[in-house]
Amino acid sequence: MLFAVFLPVLLALFIPLLSKWKDKIHTGFFVMLAPLAIFIYFVSFIGTDFEPVTQSYNWIPSLDISFDFYLDGLSLLFVLLISGIGTLVALYSAYYLHGSERLHEFYVYLLLFMTAMFGVVLSDNVFVLYSFWELTSISSFLLIGYWNFKERSRYGALKSMLITVFGGLSMLGGLILLTVETNTTSIQEMIAQADVILSSNYFGLIFTLIIIGAFTKSAQFPFHIWLPDAMEAPTPVSAYLHSATMVKAGIFLVARFTPIFSGSEWFFIIVSGIGILTLCWASYVAVRQTDLKGILAFSTISQLGMIMAMLGFGTKAAIYAAVFHILNHATFKGSLFMVAGIVDHETGSRDIRKLGGLATLMPISATLAFFGTFSMAGVPLPFLNGFYSKEKFFDASLHIDVANANLWISEVLAQAIPYLAVFGSIFTFVYSMYLVFGTFTGEKKLDQLPVKPHEAPIGMLISPIVLVLGVVIIGLFPNLFNNSFLAHTAEAIYGEPVVTDIHFWHGLIPAFYMSVVVVVVGAILAIIRKSWSGIYSFIPGKLSFNKVYDYLLDQSEKTSRKITNSYMNGSLRRYMILILSAIMVCTFTVIFLTNGFAWDTSDLAPITLHEVLIALAMAIAAISTIFTKNKIAAILILGVVGYGLALLFVLYRAPDLALTQLVVETITVALFLLCFYHLPNLRERTELTSQKLTNAVISIGFGLLMTVVAISSHSTKLFDTISGYFLETSHDIGGGDNVVNVILVDMRGIDTLFEIVVLGIAALGIYGLIKLRDKKGAE
Amino acid sequence: MEIIMSILAGVLFTTGVYNLLQKQLLRIVIGTALISHGAHLFILTMSKLKRGAPPILDYDIKDYADPLPQALILTSIVISFGVTSLLLVLAYRASKENGTDNMEKLRGNEND
Amino acid sequence: MISNLAVLPIVIPLIAGILATLFHKKLSVVRIFSQIITVLNTVMVAYILWYIHQNGTVILESGDWMAPFGIVLVGDMLSMSLVLTTNIVALASVFFAPHSLNQKQEEFYFYTFYFLLVSGVSGAFITGDLFNLFVFFEVLLMASYAMIILGGGKVQLRESIKYVLINLFSSMLFVTTVAFIYSVVGTVNMAQIAQRVGEEEQTGILTTIGILLFFVFGTKAALFPLYYWLPKPYIVPNPVVSALFGALLTKVGIYSIVRVFSLIFVYETDITHQLFIWIAGFTLIFGAIGALSTNNIKLVVAYNIIPAVGFMLVGIGVYNSTGMSGTVYYLIHDMIIKAALFFIVGAITYLAGTSDLRKMQGLIHHYPLLGWLLFISAFVLAGIPPFSGFIGKLLLLQGAVEADEIMIAIIGLAVSLLILLSMMRIFIRGFWGEKDEKVVANKAAAKKFVMPIAFLLIFSIVLGVGAEWFIPGIESIGNDLMNPAIYIESVLKE
Repeated sequence: MLFAVFLPVLLALFIPLLSKWKDKIHTGFFVMLAPLAIFIYFVSFIGTDFEPVTQSYNWIPSLDISFDFYLDGLSLLFVLLISGIGTLVALYSAYYLHGSERLHEFYVYLLLFMTAMFGVVLSDNVFVLYSFWELTSISSFLLIGYWNFKERSRYGALKSMLITVFGGLSMLGGLILLTVETNTTSIQEMIAQADVILSSNYFGLIFTLIIIGAFTKSAQFPFHIWLPDAMEAPTPVSAYLHSATMVKAGIFLVARFTPIFSGSEWFFIIVSGIGILTLCWASYVAVRQTDLKGILAFSTISQLGMIMAMLGFGTKAAIYAAVFHILNHATFKGSLFMVAGIVDHETGSRDIRKLGGLATLMPISATLAFFGTFSMAGVPLPFLNGFYSKEKFFDASLHIDVANANLWISEVLAQAIPYLAVFGSIFTFVYSMYLVFGTFTGEKKLDQLPVKPHEAPIGMLISPIVLVLGVVIIGLFPNLFNNSFLAHTAEAIYGEPVVTDIHFWHGLIPAFYMSVVVVVVGAILAIIRKSWSGIYSFIPGKLSFNKVYDYLLDQSEKTSRKITNSYMNGSLRRYMILILSAIMVCTFTVIFLTNGFAWDTSDLAPITLHEVLIALAMAIAAISTIFTKNKIAAILILGVVGYGLALLFVLYRAPDLALTQLVVETITVALFLLCFYHLPNLRERTELTSQKLTNAVISIGFGLLMTVVAISSHSTKLFDTISGYFLETSHDIGGGDNVVNVILVDMRGIDTLFEIVVLGIAALGIYGLIKLRDKKGAE
Repeated sequence: MEIIMSILAGVLFTTGVYNLLQKQLLRIVIGTALISHGAHLFILTMSKLKRGAPPILDYDIKDYADPLPQALILTSIVISFGVTSLLLVLAYRASKENGTDNMEKLRGNEND
Repeated sequence: MISNLAVLPIVIPLIAGILATLFHKKLSVVRIFSQIITVLNTVMVAYILWYIHQNGTVILESGDWMAPFGIVLVGDMLSMSLVLTTNIVALASVFFAPHSLNQKQEEFYFYTFYFLLVSGVSGAFITGDLFNLFVFFEVLLMASYAMIILGGGKVQLRESIKYVLINLFSSMLFVTTVAFIYSVVGTVNMAQIAQRVGEEEQTGILTTIGILLFFVFGTKAALFPLYYWLPKPYIVPNPVVSALFGALLTKVGIYSIVRVFSLIFVYETDITHQLFIWIAGFTLIFGAIGALSTNNIKLVVAYNIIPAVGFMLVGIGVYNSTGMSGTVYYLIHDMIIKAALFFIVGAITYLAGTSDLRKMQGLIHHYPLLGWLLFISAFVLAGIPPFSGFIGKLLLLQGAVEADEIMIAIIGLAVSLLILLSMMRIFIRGFWGEKDEKVVANKAAAKKFVMPIAFLLIFSIVLGVGAEWFIPGIESIGNDLMNPAIYIESVLKE
């Protein structure tokens, strides 16, 4: 399986080489071979005696990250969809994309996506799953932005990436929590510890974080907003990523974690609640769309909501229906996207208001669209697969098991779901009819189209035909894949064997009546669509989650600019005030918390008058630097402090220091005078009183802090210093009697060496400053 | 005495910081010089003051001042000297180049 | 064991730097000289790291003065890994420099400053003495001062002065704090300080001094709320200087925090390390906000230094071996990717003639390779698998969750998204869009820039994809950091 997963990426490496033959043979035909081979490989697993297969390859075993591929019924369904639709899409794209496009880029992204998607559905290791998950977001970003010269395309690409990566990161958070709680990175081992997870303190958080990941990817309300904008991608991409595969990754994830999460009542409430809400909202809004792909995008969202809702029901029948619908949806929606692409390709427009009457010009496409839409609408005809899963959905919605529910909201939701299901399906019916009849029947508006429409070349039609054949075959023989395939998928989710027999006619059960209501009311609403479409100006009206996204994105720039500019204003004074305040607040707090202040006067040097006088003189000099207006005076007063310090060094038995200090101070004063001779004199300090006050508070506070810490440190001498050793060994080992000097050149010679280095660099730096001047003044 | 010295060093820090918060470059540089003095005084104070002779070994003397802080201060003085010199020249060049010695006018904006 | 190997990574660049002054005007010579020395030094450090891996920590008691009295140099796995990463970054820089600097800048001792910066940074990683750490800080800071003002115009000088002032202030605070520690425990040798603090209880004043020391290092590391000095001064010098700064300087600060708060001040973690988590949270948030606030691509990268530092602090704050390993991994990862990013934006600025995002579009048509390198590095930075950032982030977040610090983990995840957004803006606005026909592509220059960038990104990818080669070593570093006795013993028992 490792090879199967990475085959597309390996092929992608050779794509740039293929561009040599790009003019003779379209790259798409080469690319098609990879998913086709994988499809054939995985088809061989189908069979009634299918058993899950595990294959492991090490990656980062130290972190428990390894390629543990786990092929059960659930992953089998997905790998077949990914490879099967992938083959068809590659074939379709070979006719759809013109040879003058940047084809190798397109196919590299597409192959990257395939690998990512195989990885997502086959990985048992949560971190590998997450890695592939983000890779799908990235490749989707690149594919949506394929025509990045268009503003809408860039917008859609960024939007999809932000929302899906947001979900991915959220999921990562949940997965990390899971791994820490269960001490394993394998999903199957987590399932074995479902009770540990369910009773964990963090269960709520884990569930929320992972579900956000799934909902963003599967475009569930209110994260659905990225999917319509993702339609800026070339149509093969929309058909593949944004309808058949990537958006179903979220469904996959929920299905994967169903054995763990379904133990909680919230699983039903959130997954079914959001799912059914998504179904209703998206199908309702779909009718308002004018872009063919826009309608299909909202349709996809609503269908995903429906599948999500069924997973949430958690009953055996519902899960089977969900699985069945995943397959069916891939067939009819895939074909519809391809037909929409054909219409776009051959007429130059996807605006349904400009289209109409194309059935006579494009008869094959029209027929394909008819099958696709009617199946999607769930019209009760025995050759449409959509009807079967739709009816199973209705049936399941009536048999939700809330007997053990503790929360009132579960009960209410269970009561409401059948009605909401019908509501959503009615609008599904309406937009399906609107889509097919608006495009292919009615009056022709050829003058509004940029290109004169005609039927697509046969090559382009092959893929949708295959998919429609799928619709019909599953419709005619609904049990064809049942026991050998779908039953295994449902079993993987449900945890127990699922055996179902699918019939067209179940008798006059409630679900049938629901279907009838949908068809009748839907048909009426579709016919009189224009008369009630005014409702959209009230609901949703101007309300839109897009606005929320746009606002957030816009504010991410504006607010952050406002915040940042409010303190990063380039003023040194401001920076210093903030830094010093932070240090003071934290340090004083710590002194207070730890009772850090210490006061011990037992071991102090005696106070003598002359020292006090020197200290006083230094303090006065230091303070007067603040008030001097004459620069020369200020520099000389600074000198007083320096020389005073030298005096103190003398008094405190540090002759070397005193000498050094004298020399350094003299040079420094000279340098000061040299540099500032040419600069303006000191001015009156013009700051406001409040500024003066702030400065005073900050500086006094900081001085106080240092004094307090110093006194406390001096009062807590816990150990003898290591200096005794220096005094003992200086003469014998160090060979000198001036201990300070011996320390400097021997014991701590490295300090001195690098102190000289510092001086050296300073000298070279000053030399450069003076010599190397930028004549232009600026960079 | 150590306590008085700690207070003196605190005063040096205070005046240094106060000067650092001013607009004029010269005052700011003076502020840094004061802070270095304060720091060196702190180091010295942290060894016990006046407990014995200067640390130059002699047969008669038993008690010496702690030599290590002195060595550290020496290193630090030299390093501060290097930095201060660079800072002085830099301040001079920066104010010449920008035509002002007022730090509040040297804020700059996003794109320069 | 005692070995001179510990000092070589400091001394070789030092000598090279001094030699480089001798022929500073002969550019062709000094370039090749610098490149050869850097390659040799990198190889040697790699050997030393391998040697340490085989034989354990190498110690050098300088001048044969036994620890804790003389200065000890301690080459353990942590310090030597960081020195190696430093040299890898230096290697890329020294090959990038000739294409990026102008002739005058090169002549005025760039290579000397460069070598001394490397020497100072390596010294700061290796030294086992707190005051000596201060000295190495000064060496690397002085080298950075000299580099930042190199050939400075008015903007550069203006920002340099703020940079120098704030660093000068924090250095003074540093020495004062060392003095306070000396007063309380009577030594400046880190192992002995740790030992003595361990013997006595970590009294209130020690914790207070610890916090002061944290703020000193925090200023260098650009933590909230001390990072104000960072963004502007980092973007005004030449890109190669920015890259060295962004990759190395703040990391020395964070390394020092790692060292000191895993070795010395480990007995009041309820106060100290809890504070770190809060600070880490604010650093993450405000750094990411800063990165979103600007259209200047250099500034975007400079601001992105800040949340990265926040991530590293998370690992120290949660104080468990997973978190510590995460910090170390992230440290290595971030040194490499930051250098690469500064090269990338430097190259873009050079090629597009502006660093203002609003004035760019469609660059991918002219410079596809550069665009894709930016694209990959955006994911490396945001911590998207399979790149190095992900592994580091995963360890950090796992560490946070293990310590029940869920909030910081969630902030970390949210900030990753903001970081990604800030980088994707550059890609989408600068590289996507219609081809600007007026622009004449300078393919030759682009090609020269791309090599060092690709070199660094290979490391980012290998650190991610090939994480298995590094994780055991990093995890053992994390474990050692949680057992200060190991360090103390290796220094004091020799």
